[in-house]
Amino acid sequence: MGGFSFDNYQRNKFLTAKGYPVPTATATGTTIVGCRFDGGVVIAADTRATEGEIVADKNCEKLHRMSPNIWCAGAGTAADCEMVTQLISSNLELHAMSTGRAPRVVTCLTMLKQHLFKYQGHVGAYLIVAGCDPTGPKLFSIHAHGSTDVGYYLSLGSGSMAAMATLESKWKSSMTKQEAMDLCAEAIEAGIWNDLGSGSNVDMCVMEVNKPAVLHRNYRTPNERSIKQKSYVFPRGTTAYLNEKVKPMIKPVAYDIFEETVTSTGGEQMEIDG
Amino acid sequence: MSDPSSINGGAIVAMVGKDCVAIACDMRLGMQALTVSNDFPKIYQYNNTFIGLAGLATDVLTLSEVFRYKVNMYNLREERDIEPETFANLVSSTLYEKRFGPYFVGPIVAGINSKTGKPYICGFDLIGCINFAKDFVVGGTTSHQLFGMCESLWEPDLEPEDLFETISQALMNAQDRDAMSGAGGLVYIITKDKIVKRLLKTRQD
Amino acid sequence: MYAEHFSEPATSHVASAPIEHQFYPYASNGGTILAIAGADYALLAGDTRHITGYSINTRFRPSIHTLENLGGPERAIVVAANGFSADGDALVRRLAQRAEWYTYNHNKPLSVSACARLVQTMLYGKRTFPYYVHTIVAGLDESGRGEVYSFDPVGSYEREQCRAGGSAASLLMPFLDNQVNKKNQYDAATGLPQVATDLPLEETLKLVKDAFSSVTERHIHVGDYLEIKIVTKEGVKVEYFPLKRD
Repeated sequence: MGGFSFDNYQRNKFLTAKGYPVPTATATGTTIVGCRFDGGVVIAADTRATEGEIVADKNCEKLHRMSPNIWCAGAGTAADCEMVTQLISSNLELHAMSTGRAPRVVTCLTMLKQHLFKYQGHVGAYLIVAGCDPTGPKLFSIHAHGSTDVGYYLSLGSGSMAAMATLESKWKSSMTKQEAMDLCAEAIEAGIWNDLGSGSNVDMCVMEVNKPAVLHRNYRTPNERSIKQKSYVFPRGTTAYLNEKVKPMIKPVAYDIFEETVTSTGGEQMEIDG
Repeated sequence: MSDPSSINGGAIVAMVGKDCVAIACDMRLGMQALTVSNDFPKIYQYNNTFIGLAGLATDVLTLSEVFRYKVNMYNLREERDIEPETFANLVSSTLYEKRFGPYFVGPIVAGINSKTGKPYICGFDLIGCINFAKDFVVGGTTSHQLFGMCESLWEPDLEPEDLFETISQALMNAQDRDAMSGAGGLVYIITKDKIVKRLLKTRQD
Repeated sequence: MYAEHFSEPATSHVASAPIEHQFYPYASNGGTILAIAGADYALLAGDTRHITGYSINTRFRPSIHTLENLGGPERAIVVAANGFSADGDALVRRLAQRAEWYTYNHNKPLSVSACARLVQTMLYGKRTFPYYVHTIVAGLDESGRGEVYSFDPVGSYEREQCRAGGSAASLLMPFLDNQVNKKNQYDAATGLPQVATDLPLEETLKLVKDAFSSVTERHIHVGDYLEIKIVTKEGVKVEYFPLKRD
């Protein structure tokens, strides 16, 4: 159990040959950015998820937590980003317990890239990984085939060109936290307005050295829906129905308690390796 | 030649109301243009959580049984009912397992968390990406039409009877514009104490 | 054993079959249009966003054209051809010329029904290399009632009460069926199906604005500005409203 199951492979190959290809999965059609500043790193993302030309989710979460101080922004196939970040996050926690040390961004990076390379790009995850660990603030990007890049400012996704245009104009090597946050928000907004695959809100995560990471969900919301001209609530009885069945909610069976005694274990505590 | 998710056709939609959720589906089973059955509901109930499965009919039936098995095992091990949020993650993992040979379905999950009383709905793509929504989720060959209807008709905090009207009108008018779905409509309105199931009077063409 | 290592022949990376490149003559420029006919008005609405792929070409490109100089102000016809905008523009430009010549040759204004038939012949004329557009024509008929005609890319047409065309047509049409034509709605008191009545212009405008704000939310090609042209016996009135720009 666990991992990929290739049971349907033969059947689906047959279907494709017969002219029934596999439909496209949700792609995030995204804008994501990351930016280093004095004393930390900040990443940001838009919140639109598309299925072809349709917006499937107007406020999806593209910022994933790899560990309390390492966060990751994902572009590409949404399910792949979600699953690969969950898998490596889980393994990273176990690894940290094994080493007895706080997890490092380069560790997360290596685990991700080795997994993605193994699948030769078929796991469509394009990620910006950032965080602060005992060696300082870090910012990296990973492509689906397994290549990684380092930088002080990075962007990925269909809106990366729009975001990078902003970053290239306004980035400077010494920035305060607020300046970096403003720059990232502006870069994401460039993607939101100018790229059709990106839209809605800006999510942001700020990771500062020796401080807990702060997630700013919906840091900016420049796309609230306007109030509709009228209400479309129908008068009750507008819909005709042929029959109706009413069933009570199946309540879970409560166990009857006949007798209750509390025994103490005698004061011996379980030994835990310190 | 169409893709596998549009051979059999189908329409499913779920909406959130005031302390209630509604989930609805059409009743058609087709083989391209031919309607094979007008009594093929696509909503299944596990404990107090509902899943709507639209797409390739064989995968709809297979997954309904896979989830029945998994939820039964959950009930046996955990000695309690499964909550909608947990079930959604179960659906996501089951679908992602088949990442490179997927089930051709677009499921939606609806339910009320028995502990918090909070309504929960979400949708998935065919490989399990969870689309968590606060308003509505749609699926099936009629998804475009349903998006248009739901986005215009839905408003927050609808009472159960009003939510019934809204979801039914959204479903019926959307499926009337899609050749691959229709032949009836089924709506479940779920509140914390009862489940009301209604069969809609719709066009049968 | 280690001496005979595998070496690829130099030609192995050449494709075994010839690769053919071809010029694809069409593109999609996005946008959505919507037309509704009323008792004494007809309106044609459309968003003004112009796109290619995932990029916006411009946020404001009005695409609803008025055919003028056909007679009195109530004779004005509004037309929109949505899809591939190069073909749409070419069609509308030629239509405007043909309409103008009609008035000179026949010494009478071009009626909407005659204009519709003309559009059909123009579209079918390019049956072998079609105009890649969904065309809608709207105006007032001889008795002053609103008239809407919609066409497929090769000229098949029909007079309708309302029609949506373009990228988000599939999202809009069911909403129109339900709200304009009262489909699937029963009267709560009598149990009889509701009958569609003529909607006043203000009601229709509310529906149009809500319809477009809804599709703007859900379709990436729709947004920026909404243009509405309304034909009444006073002539053509045009209104613009902002839409979301993301």
